[in-house]
Amino acid sequence: MAEPGTPGGSVTRVEDGPLVSGHGCFVADLRVPGCTEAAFVRSDTAHGRLRAVDLGVSRQVPGVLGAWSAGDLEEIPLVPVLMDPDVDGGRPWPALAVDRVRYSGEPVAVVVAEDRYLAEDGRDAARVTLDPLPAVLDPQVAARDEVLLYPGRSNVAVETTLGDPIDAGVWERAAVVVEARYRYPLLCHTSMEARAILVRPDTGGGITVWCSHQAPHRLRGDLADALGLEADKVRVVVPDVGGAFGGKSETWPEYLAVALAALRLDRPVRWVEDRKEALTAGPRGRGQSQWVRLASDAGGHLLALEMQTDAAVGGYPHTGSFLPEVTGRMAAGTYAIPQVCVRARAVVTTTPPLCPYRGAGRPEAAYAVECTVDLMARRLGMDPAQLRRLNFVRPEAFPFDTPTGFRYDSGDYAAALDLALRTVGYADWRSEQARRRAHGGTPLGLGICTYVERSGAGGEYGALEAHADGSFTATSGCCSTGQGHATTFAQVVASELGVDRRRVRLIEADTAVVPDGVGSFASRSMQSGGEALLRAARDLVSEARERAAARTGVRVDTASFERGAVRANGSTFTLAELAADRPLRSEARAEPPQAFPFGAYVAVVEVDPELGTVHVVRLVAVDDYGTVVNPLVVRGQTYGSIAQGLGQALYEADVHDEEGVPRAVSLLDYLLPTLSEMPEVAMDETCTPNPNTLLGAKGAGEAGCIGTPPAVVNAVADALRIDPTVLAIPLTPRVCWEAGR
Amino acid sequence: MKPAPFDYAAPATRQEVLEALAVAPDGTRVLAGGQSLVLEMNQRAARPHRLVDINNVADFDRLEVDRAEQDGGWLRVGALVRHRAFEQPVESGPLGRLLARTAHFIAHPPVRSRGTLLGSLAYAHPTGEWPTLAVTLGAELVLASADGTRTLDAESFLIGPFTTALRPGELLEEARFPLLRPTTGTAFVELRRTAASFAHLSAATALSVEDGIVVDVRLGMAGIAPQPVRARDAEHRLVGRPPTDSVIAEAATVAAAGVTDPPPDPHSGSAYRRHAATVLAERALVKARQDISEEVERP
Repeated sequence: MAEPGTPGGSVTRVEDGPLVSGHGCFVADLRVPGCTEAAFVRSDTAHGRLRAVDLGVSRQVPGVLGAWSAGDLEEIPLVPVLMDPDVDGGRPWPALAVDRVRYSGEPVAVVVAEDRYLAEDGRDAARVTLDPLPAVLDPQVAARDEVLLYPGRSNVAVETTLGDPIDAGVWERAAVVVEARYRYPLLCHTSMEARAILVRPDTGGGITVWCSHQAPHRLRGDLADALGLEADKVRVVVPDVGGAFGGKSETWPEYLAVALAALRLDRPVRWVEDRKEALTAGPRGRGQSQWVRLASDAGGHLLALEMQTDAAVGGYPHTGSFLPEVTGRMAAGTYAIPQVCVRARAVVTTTPPLCPYRGAGRPEAAYAVECTVDLMARRLGMDPAQLRRLNFVRPEAFPFDTPTGFRYDSGDYAAALDLALRTVGYADWRSEQARRRAHGGTPLGLGICTYVERSGAGGEYGALEAHADGSFTATSGCCSTGQGHATTFAQVVASELGVDRRRVRLIEADTAVVPDGVGSFASRSMQSGGEALLRAARDLVSEARERAAARTGVRVDTASFERGAVRANGSTFTLAELAADRPLRSEARAEPPQAFPFGAYVAVVEVDPELGTVHVVRLVAVDDYGTVVNPLVVRGQTYGSIAQGLGQALYEADVHDEEGVPRAVSLLDYLLPTLSEMPEVAMDETCTPNPNTLLGAKGAGEAGCIGTPPAVVNAVADALRIDPTVLAIPLTPRVCWEAGR
Repeated sequence: MKPAPFDYAAPATRQEVLEALAVAPDGTRVLAGGQSLVLEMNQRAARPHRLVDINNVADFDRLEVDRAEQDGGWLRVGALVRHRAFEQPVESGPLGRLLARTAHFIAHPPVRSRGTLLGSLAYAHPTGEWPTLAVTLGAELVLASADGTRTLDAESFLIGPFTTALRPGELLEEARFPLLRPTTGTAFVELRRTAASFAHLSAATALSVEDGIVVDVRLGMAGIAPQPVRARDAEHRLVGRPPTDSVIAEAATVAAAGVTDPPPDPHSGSAYRRHAATVLAERALVKARQDISEEVERP
């Protein structure tokens, strides 16, 4: 619960009533007169030369209004890069495939019809001729450049070295050196609502775009650039969004094709990605193959860590090329390891495009580092908690510059671990484990993950206006995709102004109303967007004090502000009164540096030794998000990310055949944990406020994806008394049974 | 995920249903609960030209215990009886208990409230719970068409993954499960990844023990062959012997030795399947034995 003096508190979300009673409005719910629906003709081959696209029959299907492949367009718009402009040159990504396809599911043509049924009839009538080329699915294989996705260019799109080369002698001097390989499979984002966009041409040559998106201002800029429109001719509105998790902050080829079709038809066109498309053709997350080497002295002091990681960034590296670098930068984890060196490569593969997925590079780092630390603990014969404690970056060492170039702002890693161990009852479980090992019983294991992650990037816009009726309008450049900003941002403002939060209305996610914004990803909304609104609130108070002082003829420093009103020269003016004559408003930009939330997760598991099935008995999550505005909302996000973390550990994998064609076409094949699979979860927090902001918040919401998988894998290894590196995620019954034999 | 065009008819009587199916037998499918068919249609994996919706036929709701016949009688299940009807025992004997134990493994509550037992048999998923039980217990299936009816046992009906002996124009109208003698213990065990998943493997058994000796046993397995199978060799090992741990273990090993051509699955190879099948067969038999002491011999 909120500490005294912290903003907010555990109020329930104002968003939930409409959402849970069916009154939400998502892109698919919009009623736009004359709206048509799009379906995509997609490659059924992972890699091939595109010979011909015949849409003749498609265009004859009753109700089909238009069908286009790249060959039907004089100029095909190119998909913009997300982060890293270097990957673009020589690797253009056309909105519709031109002469080659590089992943199964790649859009080849778009068909627009009066409704989606007819659009799919038109799609089915399309004839695509492809000459198959060899698929390359594994990034380490692809890096050999035996099959080139872009003739004349290496498949290695980006190679980064982080940290100084490790002194070779350290490996000889070390008492123990362990090596391990890991493979983080490609995963699907599986937000409840998949991708969706509706583009309506407006009079005057502009377009209005409704999109299920995380970054409307970026989408506006990207669409304007790609379509050759002025930015002010593009309005992007984000209605209710059913989850995003990183897969909705990009400008996907489908969006460009839909916009083109709308402009050509001069009618609104909507595309709602269905589950099959999302699973077979949608973006992917994770997908790294790693090698790690770790050295320790005999006393358990870690000496050096070396990592090589190769990410399968998909057929087009535009949206995922930066992810392996994030992993590399986080390779030091929570530890003060003197030497850390990483080679991180983004390798193109004939798989759907990689992009951030909740955690975005940090889960991949935590998995490799935390399992390797457990392996080291086994070799040293040390308790894994003790080995971690011995090597943590100390609280007094912050800000701490890692060998990989990140600056950790603040932390107390041992405090989080100690709280997690106390909460789970570590010593008692160890006794129970010893009892079972001696006297029989289902194998029981404990697994720890201590993590540090990176949150926030770039600045954010916030504005605030007091109205004469006593209400307030807060405007943010963030874009809630389910995080609950209407609740929590109102809490930040109301708490600062000392007013009822229900009088604060939030506006975001509309580029026509919000002048500037970055969006919601990288756990940045409260850290940056909340900070901007806090600053705007303080500026509003300053302005109010100046007005009150001027009215009463006193110096501004004698005007005091409390509970929504200014006292000056014996008079009291509410903010509403001060806003009566002329607008009372403020604007702010927050530019906090990235922050480094951290925490400790402990899993207790039982493994059926005959079938290899894993039962997670208990999961304890201790997170430090700095100042927490609404603990209820934050714990809800922690719980959700734990569910996704369990999915990574136990269930999820993008299954495809040897030719790279996805085999999971529904959620019967791509398995997600449901409430039935959720263990007993205990959540708690420590609080190390962000030293670089007024609000003190660090990012929350991705932690469970980061902390859960290594904790579960380490626990299963502990139960089976094997090295965690023998296991591979997802921990299917077969994997655990074979590992335990 | 929108279906291809199709025609739709919703007749009100059995006779009209059979006539409707006879009009254009090829490309016509029966719509009962629609929990598998509609999904396949939405993915355009199934493209029937015409659906005959039987939900308006009141008679198809019938669920009756018919004790009049010899051999202990039958439970007769009509074409519109939903999965959820079996969540509570539909009869007081061991069959009712076994059906109830099995029902909760089926998908999740929304599917169970709409999907039908006969629809599940007609869909013939290789590890479907009802097909497994029908094979295990030797259910008889009544197939009706405009030309008359015929009856097949479940093993003859289920001929492969998603493949049955149903002919164009035929309706699977009724399933008859034999009632089990009161001395029978039952069990249904399943290996699945999540509570909403289809099974990897399952084992169903009905075990009758009198005076400490197995007098009758049915053991069915799914996930070890293209369709559910009865482990007759294992049954033979059990009959006439006491159901001790070692006898059960021996029978389970025999049951799993029949692993021939398991349905493809990227997450479990045949070595694991064979091993896990042994474990499941053993656990099913042990549970059935325990069921006898808890349910049958309870004072």
